[in-house]
Parts: sequence; C-alpha cells; structure tokens
Amino acid sequence: MNERAPLVRVEGLTKGYGSGATRVDVLSELEMEVDEGALVAVVGPSGVGKSTLLHVVGLLDRPEAGSLMLAGREMGRLDGDERARLRNQLIGFVFQHHYLLDELDAVDNVALPLRIAGRAASQARSRGRELLEAVGLEARAHHFPDQLSGGEQQRVAVARALAMKPRLLLADEPTGNLDRGNADQVFQLVRELHLLEGLTSIIVTHNEEMAHRCDRVFRLAPAGQSSGYVS
Amino acid sequence: MGAELHLVLRYLGGLRRRTHVATVSLISLVSLGLGVMALVVTLALLEGFQSSIRRELVERATHARVEPAHGRRLEGAVQLASVLQEQLPGVEIVQVVRGTCLVSSPGDAVPAAVVGRSDATRVTVDEILAGRLGVSRGDAVEVISPRQRLTPMGPLPVRQRVELADVVLPEPGSESGSVQLPLAQAQRLLWGGPVVEAIELRHPSDPWRLGHQVRIALGERAGEMRVQGLAELHRPLLLALALERVMIFVAVGLILVVAALNLLCNVAMVAAEKRRDLAVLAGLGLTPRAVRRLFLLLGLGIGLVGSVAGAVVGVAVSVALDSTQALPLPRGVFVVASVPFAVQPGAVAVVLVAALVMASLASWLPARLVARREPAEGLRYE
Repeated sequence: MNERAPLVRVEGLTKGYGSGATRVDVLSELEMEVDEGALVAVVGPSGVGKSTLLHVVGLLDRPEAGSLMLAGREMGRLDGDERARLRNQLIGFVFQHHYLLDELDAVDNVALPLRIAGRAASQARSRGRELLEAVGLEARAHHFPDQLSGGEQQRVAVARALAMKPRLLLADEPTGNLDRGNADQVFQLVRELHLLEGLTSIIVTHNEEMAHRCDRVFRLAPAGQSSGYVS
Repeated sequence: MGAELHLVLRYLGGLRRRTHVATVSLISLVSLGLGVMALVVTLALLEGFQSSIRRELVERATHARVEPAHGRRLEGAVQLASVLQEQLPGVEIVQVVRGTCLVSSPGDAVPAAVVGRSDATRVTVDEILAGRLGVSRGDAVEVISPRQRLTPMGPLPVRQRVELADVVLPEPGSESGSVQLPLAQAQRLLWGGPVVEAIELRHPSDPWRLGHQVRIALGERAGEMRVQGLAELHRPLLLALALERVMIFVAVGLILVVAALNLLCNVAMVAAEKRRDLAVLAGLGLTPRAVRRLFLLLGLGIGLVGSVAGAVVGVAVSVALDSTQALPLPRGVFVVASVPFAVQPGAVAVVLVAALVMASLASWLPARLVARREPAEGLRYE
C-alpha cells in the first residue's frame, strides 16, 4: 500500500472551449491522482482532452472548475508569475513537436530553463552539455534545430525538460511525429531518465504498446463518461 | 533579466541565419536610424542658419536702448551717457535721433529712415536706399525733413544737401533703407536743436545681458526710462526663430513617429510569429513579467542601436557638410557663403531620448498583449 501523498491530484476538473452554442466540453468533473515516482500513460481517442489535461496539470492553462494540487499545494490561487516559477522548478515538458527555439543551438536550448531560473550562462551551458551527453548528443551541442534529425530534436527536447531536475515530467505524445525506430529510442530514453532522475511522469500517447510499458494507464473518456486507471 | 537579454541578442543576432525576426528588426532599426538622422541633420541645419542670424544680430544691431518712458525727448542725455559710460566700462554708448525724411537724388526721391548718431562722423546710406536712389559713394543727395521753418515765402521744409561718404550694409530687419548722419546734423534736420531721443549701447563680449546691466547702472532713474535689451529689441525675430525651431522639430519628428509605428508593427509581427516560442518559454518558466521585459528589450535594443547609429551618422553628415562647405549659397543673397550646419549636443540628446521613448512605447503595447496570454493558447494554435 502506498502511504505517500500523490504528487498530482485533480478533483472535479472541468474545462471546455468556446461559449454558447459553440461551447465544447472537453473535461468534465475529472478525478485523477498520480503517485510520486509513477510513470503514467494517458490514453484516449483524439479530441478527448488529453493535451488539455496535460496543460492544466502543467500549469499552462487554468481549469474552469475543480482543483489541482501539485506536491500537496493548491494551484488555483497562484498568479501568473508564481505559476511560471513553479513550471520552471517543478515541471519538465516534452511536446509532440520538439518546440526548440530556432535561434539557439542544442546546448543553449537545453540550458534555457536554467537561464530563465537566473543561473549563470556558464553553469547553465555546463548542465546543458551534461544532459546532451546523457541523451547521446554531445557531438551535436552546437547544432541548431534545423541541423538535427527529428529524433535528435526530440532527444534535445527531453534533455531540456530535465534541465532543472524537475519532479514531474509531462510528455504530450513525445513520439507522435517520429518513425518507429526513433519513437522507440525516445520512449526508451524517457523511461530510463524517469528511473534515473526519480521522476513522476505523465505521458500522453496514442500508442497502446508504449502505454502498456508504463507503470499505469489512465484512460480518458469523452466528457460525461467515466475516466480512470485501467491498469 | 539574463534569459531575456540572451534571447533578444539571439533574435537580433540571427541575421546571419536570415531569421525573420532579425530581418524585420533590421528594417525597424534602419527606419528609426533614418528618422533620427533626418532630425539631427535638420536641426543642425536650422541651428546653423539661426545661429548665423543671431551672430549677425549681435555683430550689427544695438544690444540695448534707453528711451524716455513718455514722449520722445530724452532729457539729460549727455549726463546719462557719461554716467552709463562710467558704470559700464567697455560698452559702446551712442546718442541717437531717428526720423523719416524724403531723400532725393537727381533721379528719384524716396522716404527713408534718418538716423543721427553721436559716433557718426560722415554721411552714409545703406545698400537698400542706395539701390532705390541709384546713388553710390561720392554722390550727393538731398534730405528733406518733415519739419518746417518759416521763410519770407512761407513755411518750407528743412532740407540739407549731403555728400555720401560710403554705402554700408543695412541694419538687421531694415526694409525701407536708411541714411546715417552725424548727430548734430540729424538734430538740425529733425528737431532744430540738440535733442536726443535715445541712447543705444553695444557690448560685444556680453550682448544678451546688457539690458539688465543698464537697468542696474541706472538705478532709481531706470523707472523714468524705457530700457530694452537685445531680446526685447528683437523679440519678434527671436520668437519667430524659436517658433520655427519647435515647428520644424515637430514636423520632422513625425518621421520618428512613423518609424516608431513601424517598430510597433514589427514587434507585433514578431509576437505573432513567435507565439509558439513564447508559449514554450512560458512553459519553461518565463514569467509574464519577463515576457514583457523581453519585448521591451527587443524594442529598446532596436531603438538604442537605430537611434545611436542615426545620431552618429547625422552628426557626421552635418559636420562634414559644414566643414567642407559642400552646399554653397549665392553671394549677396545670403549672409553666409554656404549652407551652415551647427550640431548642438542638447538637441541630439533630446532627439535620442525622444526616439528611445517612442521605441519603448512601441514595444510596450505588444509586450502587454503577449504577456496576458495563457501559454496553452500559443501551443493550442500550433
């Protein structure tokens, strides 16, 4: 029995887009808990709100109703600056597209969260090189995103997500844009780093096979239907 | 601040990689630089002309005048002049009478100002009157006063035939032409006796404060007289010059406004183009305040580099054009031989500050709009 408090607790989460006749309810009264150290896959059909859930949990968006607790702290009343600081300190993101900044080379992209946190350039770049080495891209440190392959871009994005040693890793279909070989490589990398860094990870994926390689699978159902862990 | 500055430098430094941000930033930078340069050169040109007018005024016009507060006769003028001479050593003091007479030559007769001065020893006419009468040095003219004297044939105007010793430059602002006579000669023409109407003073080393110094020197007597300094004597001209400067600054300054609007468009375009990057940066922990700072830095960076470059080029162009006299002016029409440029550091500083303020304002608006967005918006629209 797990005695630890969950790192992520979502209660009665409701979120939709638009208003009036064009209103679309995406998440309705959703309940979810993620224990510290768990690797959770979130699966569900397209448009069910997987990315929206990840955005709300990652403090990139605000819910319309319900509460979100991260590391035992209620997030509802935090202002924009506090939420940004928490994103920097607590959360690492990997998006479906690599979303690296075109103007920065790989090491600067990885070092970016540290620069945002106010670390010195040399310290940030040193950590960036360390992480690039961890993802096997030390030789590509000074390449710009357009000089990297899709798989390499996503590995740099994974390294960037871990730059601040976050407790929570959120990955929104991190392999969705990759061929099978690269997708396996990136997923394996995420799993290894999850264990190595002692992370709590939530991975949104369409890939059932990958989902079942995670500790638990949370199936998200359309609004009005029951969502929950299936394994 | 480190991350924002780092990003701004990378955005602006991306020209080698031909990034869009760097390209539009370069366009904004050049626009602002051209605006600043145009303003600096225009103000230098204006100051060049205006300072030559002021210099001409100081060189040739009266710096202060003492007149009676009421009426035209200045009582005790000789004694007053000696008191002023004693109190203000080094100041040129002249007793003066002025009037309008008809000046005739064999070919023509025109009304002209007649000035009698205690420092004049010979009769001169200015170029305007000489031109109208068709006379030159050595010719004789007749000066006919409006004052009359009784003769056996009835009242006749007082008249004097004088020989012109020289033709001189007209006084600043003079339009009707003038003839200058020794004081006694002019007094006979205009008054028929030793009347003085005013004391005129010149102090070439401190012309602008002479009026104030004269008031102090006159002490209690200043209340009985009307004392005018250089600024009061030439108030309309000096006001016109000041007004001209303001109007030109405003008119040419509109170039800066246009450049700032261009900068606003470009920063807004960058904000739209970098919507995803900004969402990602926010996701990585960049606070809304830092996002605002990022855009302000971007605008200010463009503004600073553009303004300073524009000012440097503007100053260099002005100095070069002035020192090489590259734009000659026709002699006889202008008092200067070439188009003068005078760069004033204060004016350059005002232009720089104005450009930077406008650049900040231009980046503030998009910065505010961008900082308000939730990061997920930027990611959702990808």
